[in-house]
Amino acid sequence: MNLIVCMKQVPSSNEVRMDPKTKTIIRDAKSAVWNPFDRSALEVAVLLKEQLGGHITALSMGIPDTSRLLEEAISCGADEALLLSDRAFAGADTLATSYALSLGVKEIGPYHLILCGKMAVDGDTAQIGPELAETLGIPHITDVTQIVFASEKELIVSRKIDGASQLVQVTLPALLTVVKEIAQPRLPSIASILHAKETPCTVRNAQNLQADTTRTGLLGSPTQVVKTFTPPPKQSGVTLSAKPDQAAKEIAALFEEVKR
Amino acid sequence: MEPMQPFSAQFSAYLKDESRTIGFADSISFPKSEAEVLTILTYCNQNNIPVTIQGARTGLAAAAVPFGGHVMNLSQMKQMLSLREENGQFFLTVEPGLTLLECNQKLASHQLQSPAFSAASLAVLEQMEGKTFFFAPDPTETTCTIGGMAACNASGARSFLYGPTRNHITALRVVLPSGEALALRRGTCFARHRQLHLTTEQGTSYALALPQYRMPNTKNASGYYIKENLDAIDLFLGSDGTLGVITALELKLTLLPASIWGISFFFSAEETALRFADTVRHQMPGLASVEYFDDAALTLLRKQKETGLAFAALPTIAEADRCCVYLELHSDTDEENMEKMVRLGRVMEQCGGDQSRTWVARNETDLSLLHFFRHAVPESANLIIDERKKEYPEITKLGADMSVPDDRLFDVMRLYRTTLAEAHLESATWGHLGNNHLHVNILPRDLSDFHKGKALYARWAEEISAMGGAVSAEHGVGKIKAPFLALMYGKEAIEEMRQLKLTLDPHSILGNGNLFPSVRKEAEA
Repeated sequence: MNLIVCMKQVPSSNEVRMDPKTKTIIRDAKSAVWNPFDRSALEVAVLLKEQLGGHITALSMGIPDTSRLLEEAISCGADEALLLSDRAFAGADTLATSYALSLGVKEIGPYHLILCGKMAVDGDTAQIGPELAETLGIPHITDVTQIVFASEKELIVSRKIDGASQLVQVTLPALLTVVKEIAQPRLPSIASILHAKETPCTVRNAQNLQADTTRTGLLGSPTQVVKTFTPPPKQSGVTLSAKPDQAAKEIAALFEEVKR
Repeated sequence: MEPMQPFSAQFSAYLKDESRTIGFADSISFPKSEAEVLTILTYCNQNNIPVTIQGARTGLAAAAVPFGGHVMNLSQMKQMLSLREENGQFFLTVEPGLTLLECNQKLASHQLQSPAFSAASLAVLEQMEGKTFFFAPDPTETTCTIGGMAACNASGARSFLYGPTRNHITALRVVLPSGEALALRRGTCFARHRQLHLTTEQGTSYALALPQYRMPNTKNASGYYIKENLDAIDLFLGSDGTLGVITALELKLTLLPASIWGISFFFSAEETALRFADTVRHQMPGLASVEYFDDAALTLLRKQKETGLAFAALPTIAEADRCCVYLELHSDTDEENMEKMVRLGRVMEQCGGDQSRTWVARNETDLSLLHFFRHAVPESANLIIDERKKEYPEITKLGADMSVPDDRLFDVMRLYRTTLAEAHLESATWGHLGNNHLHVNILPRDLSDFHKGKALYARWAEEISAMGGAVSAEHGVGKIKAPFLALMYGKEAIEEMRQLKLTLDPHSILGNGNLFPSVRKEAEA
């Protein structure tokens, strides 16, 4: 089974910092990590490969330093990695990103399944997976929580819907977006890190991919970010330690205050 | 007395700590300042009321568990008081109730601002900009208070590199039972041989005869820290709440290394794992932790992962992996850590291991997963004991905290393994292999196992003392290990410790039952 896993570099989730001047997320390559949803997607690919055999390619679009993280993807089970990196790709919204990724997919060649995280923890849009599938003209299933059956021809998966789960059968090639809990990502070993160091990541630019640059980067992005701001911090709560009847009066007084 | 409240059911949580020992008390207070501590302590001293000092009650030796009298809980004294710089080194003064977690979170997120800071402290804060510091001692339970860490001289996994809490505290304020205060700064007041003179801020002088015993040459948190020409501050660090109440501590801050990697090395046999750890521990610079988990500890984790939702995020441990050595590498660059990792992989193979059976954490997310793994082991053991307690309420986990010198590591492991097998006791072992300091935990299945376990524990204390080891290496002696302290140092030394305590606390109101059996009878006499 040929598998492609789309992966995004995001700021370390423990400490997301905003630049007070530009109002954008400070993207410090040093503290960058893989989007945790994408790591789960990679683990699903590794489990499918262990079950059915095959080949895994990790695919990302980003600054040249992303190759460092793609090396990490190889150490966690990917066979090879492709990085799309070019100034022409910079400032892309989800539409322009999915177009660029579709060119990456074509560059990789025939595939059975594309796996994406449900969303990225920095942008939270959850649009890349569906948009990439639409660009490629293949079916997609979002919010997948379990692979129930897998072969090179078809998959049966379970997905989360409001208040229930749904079993969906799909003919391959197809694209899945997965929830974080679908799999516990493995940690790399010394042996796999050394192997990854010897497996160079392939880098392609817009020209290599014969990209239509009116569809990439800022130019190809219909979404305009008007303003980015940090929401005001939540006020700390009030603890009432009085006896119940007195506390009830205090709560009522607080309600009155809010009403005014 | 106003800040003191009569003890009632709503305070029942304050009768126990993580050792699961449950005591009793007559009154409780939550002082908010040194002035309040002073008022309460003076009142208790005048009225001969015993006082048990508490922080977050995360201790494992019952030092904070009261047996009668007053409970003074310091958890509300948690302000950061001041900052100071000297020769490029930064020092933070805090109140004792601040937790380690709060302290290190504030340091990591650069949010040290405190209403108590003077203009001078704020100027120092500016100098710290762009650098990240941390308070290096790292007991597994990070919700412990800094005061509690000082009282038992706590350590943790990283103490292999950074040493215990003692090494990171440069000044203390201590209120004595008399209501007087001592201001102690490292490097300014020393004993002459074994005679120490202390003068309070109010001008009273105390002449202390320090005990004659020699401390073991190993990681140690057993009894008063005593040596020739002792620095006065060291007497109070690790004194288990028996000499005074610590009301402020100056912490020496450490620059957070730019690259921190954690590696778990899995082995099929304990012998191979020990050989590996023994080979690398003194070869590799910047090795912050050398930890161990035995077969039983890994089995506990596998079971918890299957059953407990809280542990579902644990990585899957392969069936063939029977034990694990965890190393943490602190370096200036990732490249440096990469080189170290390659070397460690080679040593693992030379020792008969397989470098594909490792987990490498190179970022904060993965590192916190390995720390969670480490923390989950004792938690899992506690869950098992809590379950068994339903049928046998008297039993507790019997956790050893003993250490031996480097050259006795293999001897002590042989002792543990042979005696546990002879006694047919269930156990799980984890802890600080680098310091020859393993937490061998006996997990009694019933009352008979519990009694057998206690007897075995006493035998270990005796044999380990004979090996030149310590009966408590990091948890402190508290009440639970008091009988073993006598085994380690002998009765005469215990008597000298009691006399030392009585000089500062003549009515013996503080920390009764900690370190040695209560001295109140003699004090009253």
